[in-house]
Amino acid sequence: MFLHDLLFRLRALMRHPAVENELDDELRFHLEQQTDKYLKSGMSEAEVKRRVRLEFGGLDKVKDDCREARGVSLVESLVQDLHYSARTLLHSPAFTACAVLTLALGIGANTAIFSVVNTVLLNPLPYSNPQELLAARQNEALPNLKDMQQRTNSFASSGGVNITLMDFTGKGEPVRVHAALVDGGLFTTLGVQPMLGRWISANEDVKGGPPNVVASYAFWRDFLGADPDVLGRTIRLSDNSFTVIGVMPKNFALPRELADVFVSLWTGYPEAAPERGVHFMHTYWRLKPGVGLTQAQADIAQADRRLAEEFPDTERERGTLLIPLRELLVGDVRPALLVLFGAVGLVLLIACANFAMLLMARAVTRQRELMIRVSLGARNSRLIRQRLTESTLIALVGGAVGLLAAKAGTTLLLALKPAELHHMDAIPMDVRVFMFVFAISLLTGLLFGLLPAWSAARGDIAEALRENARTTTTGVSRSPLRSFLVTAELALALILLAGAGLLIKGFLRLRSVDPGFNSSNVISMYLQLPGTRYPNIPMQTNFRRELLARINAFPGVEAAMITDLPLAGNFVGHRVVIDGVPTTAVGTEPMAQVLSVMGEYFGVMQIPIHAGRAFSAMDREGQPRVAIVNETFVRQLLPGQNPIGSRINWARADDPNDWMTIIGVVSDVKHSGLNQPVDPAIYQPFSQNDEAWRKWMTLVIRTRVPVAGVIEDVKKQVWSLDSQIPLSDIQSMDDLLAVSLAQERFNMLLLGSFAVLAVVLAGVGIYGMVAYRVNQRTHEIGVHMALGAQHRDVLRLVMKDAVKLGLLGITLGLVGAIALTRVMVSLLFKVKPTDPVTLIGVALLLAAVAMLAGYIPARRALSVHPMTALRSE
Amino acid sequence: MPSRFIDLPQGTLDLLILRTLSLEPLHGWAVSERIQQISSDVLRVQQGSLYPALHRLERRGLIKARWGTSENNRKAKFYELTKAGRREFEIEQDAWQKLTAAVSQILETA
Repeated sequence: MFLHDLLFRLRALMRHPAVENELDDELRFHLEQQTDKYLKSGMSEAEVKRRVRLEFGGLDKVKDDCREARGVSLVESLVQDLHYSARTLLHSPAFTACAVLTLALGIGANTAIFSVVNTVLLNPLPYSNPQELLAARQNEALPNLKDMQQRTNSFASSGGVNITLMDFTGKGEPVRVHAALVDGGLFTTLGVQPMLGRWISANEDVKGGPPNVVASYAFWRDFLGADPDVLGRTIRLSDNSFTVIGVMPKNFALPRELADVFVSLWTGYPEAAPERGVHFMHTYWRLKPGVGLTQAQADIAQADRRLAEEFPDTERERGTLLIPLRELLVGDVRPALLVLFGAVGLVLLIACANFAMLLMARAVTRQRELMIRVSLGARNSRLIRQRLTESTLIALVGGAVGLLAAKAGTTLLLALKPAELHHMDAIPMDVRVFMFVFAISLLTGLLFGLLPAWSAARGDIAEALRENARTTTTGVSRSPLRSFLVTAELALALILLAGAGLLIKGFLRLRSVDPGFNSSNVISMYLQLPGTRYPNIPMQTNFRRELLARINAFPGVEAAMITDLPLAGNFVGHRVVIDGVPTTAVGTEPMAQVLSVMGEYFGVMQIPIHAGRAFSAMDREGQPRVAIVNETFVRQLLPGQNPIGSRINWARADDPNDWMTIIGVVSDVKHSGLNQPVDPAIYQPFSQNDEAWRKWMTLVIRTRVPVAGVIEDVKKQVWSLDSQIPLSDIQSMDDLLAVSLAQERFNMLLLGSFAVLAVVLAGVGIYGMVAYRVNQRTHEIGVHMALGAQHRDVLRLVMKDAVKLGLLGITLGLVGAIALTRVMVSLLFKVKPTDPVTLIGVALLLAAVAMLAGYIPARRALSVHPMTALRSE
Repeated sequence: MPSRFIDLPQGTLDLLILRTLSLEPLHGWAVSERIQQISSDVLRVQQGSLYPALHRLERRGLIKARWGTSENNRKAKFYELTKAGRREFEIEQDAWQKLTAAVSQILETA
């Protein structure tokens, strides 16, 4: 039955002209037979014609009904409708442009955000069976990783990686490259094959294994000349030779880490490989098929317990938490993206409301045409379909324009460089994005085309017509749909505005947080001494001292150095003991950041000294060890004591009696970010460093004049001391501060621009409503003015509804905002989602905008001259 | 004054067409004539509405059409019942008779 129906329809479609001819023939035959019959009965020819036509009914309608009955008409009338729509739309370019633009804005913004959501949240990870991949929240030491893999049953494989910087010295300037120190299991776990050669095998990934290196595609292309015969070649990394055994494919990247080359931890950093306490590898785990997360987590927990029992010194506080890899990668950005996606959805709704109002206004102006078509026998359903075709056509064109806008939008998004997009150089638009655009365009066109069409069928148009005909004397005619749309627009706009207001407030709070140092006119750069040529602390100290002396010799320049800069994301932590304070159990001693400095670091960074003194040139090797701590250290670890003169040491230090004496207290510095708490921190002189592995440093240079030439001068000085040391991460502290706010700025700017868009669209909606009202009532206004009405009365007449709806919309919006802004709580810094000042502020702002949007067209009513208005009758 | 014609109740046109065609294949005009004749001109079928009904029945596979020659030697489209159409006709006829019987019983006794 269904097949028959389908074939029948298909035939109707394929053989369209033939079918049409048959229909003509059939009906003509009928009419001729009937005519013959009456003629034979002796009627006059004119009478016959009349009766035949009367008995048969409208020929065109019958044909139309037949087409419908055959099922042709669906496609056929769609083509017809499309043709007709395109023609009428081209005839009213202003309307078309407005409608297309409105929707393009809404759809474009949605598409741009959807592209990001698609790329970040929806795209599968580029590893085989990514759903089996887990990551540990905590970093891990290699021996622990091996033990855990052995003592658990849930995992097919596991692997770890630590990124370190190495100096690649080939031809030309030395280059700092990111080296992934890996464990051999990593690539089995990720399930990726090298493009060339092979991966580091398990028997090479051992103590004393061969120094092999696998290159990333980019490294191979940029530094190895994309040589297809590169395998077996030797390259120099940080003064060691490595043999190239493989090249990774182009699209390969580690889940979180940036890496140019991959070497076994055993060959790249043999000192750290056997150390159980050195928790510095990111670890990835592949579940055995059929094993769930809960089971795996329980499995890991028992391995943790065993490790803690066996190695209480370092492993007492274990608590490995496994999470799905995707969760780890996008968990932090998901709330922000979802809030933005929701917000941009509201923008689309507002745009759609405007679109619907435009369609309604158009329906009124086209009333005469519609009436003619109805009187010609067009059925209501056909008219509605016609209007739907038109609105859908507009929406699809709007969607296409929106797609272009989105393309530009994503470029803009990337330019804002939010943290989660940092590693992306493009936001690709794939099939899913196109499907998304098509779907929302279609939906918009159908849904918001249907609203006014439906309302027209229910008499809104008839109402409008009456107004046109001015048969109403009371003049109180409202379109309930229009009122609803305006109210909804304002409510939605208020929600967006509230969200944006909260983010702005949070951002301002965050920006006004004192980082603890003065960032202006300070540049920083990072360098690392190769362990081969600077194996011991005295050699390192000499280099540092000499370099600082040379830079400080530049006029107008003050330079110092520190291991890890604030806001740069790194620090070394140490457990500490305090002289006179009973020690706690091994592994539970208090933790502090340890930062080595040289030169007038506190002076250069302008970090205030609260008590005691700064380091002097006398605090050097061979002298009593000294330390400076921050206020948080004092508050948390030396409460109620005079910190100056207190003595501290590393927990389980090699020499427990070699105390460091606290000589000063400095102000807190927001080391880990402006929205992060400050940890206890210990500053010590580089020259009294007792750990030779801390061979990196960051120069901080304050200049009285803008920095332009200084960087090159500093580079020259570094290279005149050692031509093999690259300088990297050259940036001003202002930039670093700005980058640390990038995520918040991104959220704020985006939601802010959506709110602006929403307010503008809602304003246009109000404007349209009042303008329409003024147009409809020109005559009435004229009468009022002729009768001596004041400007105030006229304004009241045309704006009364707008004010009422405005207040209603804003009130509803406030309720909505209170309900919805809760989802933003994780994005807000020290602002409650129901912050009354913000909510009231944005409500007033929106009210002002709404009043203005209504007042502009309302003012036109004032300029109505009574005589003109009356004459327009 | 009561009208001489009775308008067709909704949905009965299809049944009448099926009945008419159950005797012999006919073209559209003949179907309309036959309905009027048999009903002694009491039922009024708007002739135009016949054709959409025919086309709908054709689409549903209850009748099929072929071009033939009319009594007066003109090309005409003849409709005839398909097997499915005959079955459908019997079901519908049965249902209709039950319905009318029930309705008249109520009208007579109530």
